[in-house]
Amino acid sequence: MMNKLIFGRYMPGDSFIHRLDPRAKLLASFYFIGIIFLANNWQTYLLLAVFTLFAVSLSKVDMKFFIRGIRPLIWLILFTVALQVLFTSGGEVYWHWGIFNITQFGVLNGIFIFCRFVLIIFMSTLLTLTTPPLELSDAIEYLLRPLKVVRFPVHEISLMLSIALRFVPTLMDETEKIMNAQRARGVDFGEGSLVQKMKAIIPLLIPLFVSSFNRAEDLATAMEARGYQGGEGRTKYRVLHWHNQDTMVMGAFALLTVILVVLRG
Amino acid sequence: MDIHFEKVNFTYQPNTPFEQRALFDIDLLIKEGSYTALVGHTGSGKSTLLQHLNALVKPTSGSVQIGDRKITPETDNKNLKPIRKKVGIVFQFPEAQLFEETVARDIAFGPKNFGVGEEVALEIAKAALIQVGLDETYLNRSPFELSGGQMRRVAIAGVLAMKPEVLVLDEPTAGLDPQGRKEMMEMFWQLHKEQKITIVLVTHLMDDVANYADFVYVLEKGKIVKSGEPREVFQDLNWLKEKQLGVPTATEFAELLSEKGITMSELPLTAEELADEIVRLSGGIAHDE
Repeated sequence: MMNKLIFGRYMPGDSFIHRLDPRAKLLASFYFIGIIFLANNWQTYLLLAVFTLFAVSLSKVDMKFFIRGIRPLIWLILFTVALQVLFTSGGEVYWHWGIFNITQFGVLNGIFIFCRFVLIIFMSTLLTLTTPPLELSDAIEYLLRPLKVVRFPVHEISLMLSIALRFVPTLMDETEKIMNAQRARGVDFGEGSLVQKMKAIIPLLIPLFVSSFNRAEDLATAMEARGYQGGEGRTKYRVLHWHNQDTMVMGAFALLTVILVVLRG
Repeated sequence: MDIHFEKVNFTYQPNTPFEQRALFDIDLLIKEGSYTALVGHTGSGKSTLLQHLNALVKPTSGSVQIGDRKITPETDNKNLKPIRKKVGIVFQFPEAQLFEETVARDIAFGPKNFGVGEEVALEIAKAALIQVGLDETYLNRSPFELSGGQMRRVAIAGVLAMKPEVLVLDEPTAGLDPQGRKEMMEMFWQLHKEQKITIVLVTHLMDDVANYADFVYVLEKGKIVKSGEPREVFQDLNWLKEKQLGVPTATEFAELLSEKGITMSELPLTAEELADEIVRLSGGIAHDE
């Protein structure tokens, strides 16, 4: 079921990107999504594409997995591109029918939107493929820390996040198991009418909820038994280290921004 | 109904970075009316193999013949229900599959999926519940208010209610107390003897294999490394120990005796055989049934 999904999964490896501090990677990915909107012409998009491909090559992950990451989103991308192409006016008109028209600006906009989507997906796939989920949640906790000032429950949120991340694969396994058990009892998942399909989900959903409740109870008991009392006064086992290479990455992004601003004119 | 594996290979998530090969060239035959045991370490591919037995997964290459149906990589996912009705699987910790409001409805769920009418299905549910050792008072209770052991029984009843010809058991007694374990194994044995149900048992407990099975397949890292009757397989204690598989307790004890100079023609598998052997060696007459 989840076999085809690459986006959001971690692939162990040892590369420059793998060794970066997760905070640097997280910040960089968000920053990249921000500056991608600075791009507005051929030169800027080309620059971003080259930059992204360079980052991808640094990760030593096979290119085809990035391309596969686009697959689940391809219809959304094509739909947006089609809307842009068909409804943007301006420039030379190539084709016209009723309210639809294909124009020079429309085609250009469509291509830009397409590039924007692909680059964003590549960058976020790069982040998740090279960063273990737990490191990612550590990074989020660290970056949210300033929000403590406004009484934002940073520790609780990050605890929930790391528990949630930890149990995603467990729950997936469980889903698969219960699905198989119900299929063995004669349930057809994904067959028949919409109503039938929805009815077939019940024998999967209820056991999943029940086991989640049970698991939550067991986990809470086990945590309490091990002396967990909340966020105050805890020390950390996994400590993040910021190295020179992380500063370098930040520098590269600053440089990229400057060039982008210059090139967009 | 025979189940016959021919050169079955299976790979999880083929063509992705997470690709993982689980079965290698498995040839295996489960004869009608037999009691076959599958043993091996965790991660040896037992559970993957048993999902092939009722076409929950299809081989990546090779074929599985289930009765008169042949499952190959190209087999369509439709029309597999008749196979699933004939081959019932009790998965590990089957209590996780309960979901209905009452025990009766949960047990009747399987038969209803295979086209049995509501009334008849509830009758079957009642019979199945009694078969697994619970009484009628449980019929209208919620499955979620039962104890772990009782839930397990209800889940097993749900599979028995489908009246399968082949019953596949994936560690059916894991996590049960000794009494419950014994009762459950005896119940499966009764089904096998009286209703001629073919049983496939996946287990870590060599005593169960020695007591019940008439054929054993030993799996290691996705391959079948040994097969035969329990008597043959368990004679080679050193091999078993080397592979870190268990040895039936009676066999182990007999081995200790033979180290002390008490020689037996053949190592016994069960406590009864061991007792007979000792009586014979001490000059008495072994009891005969």
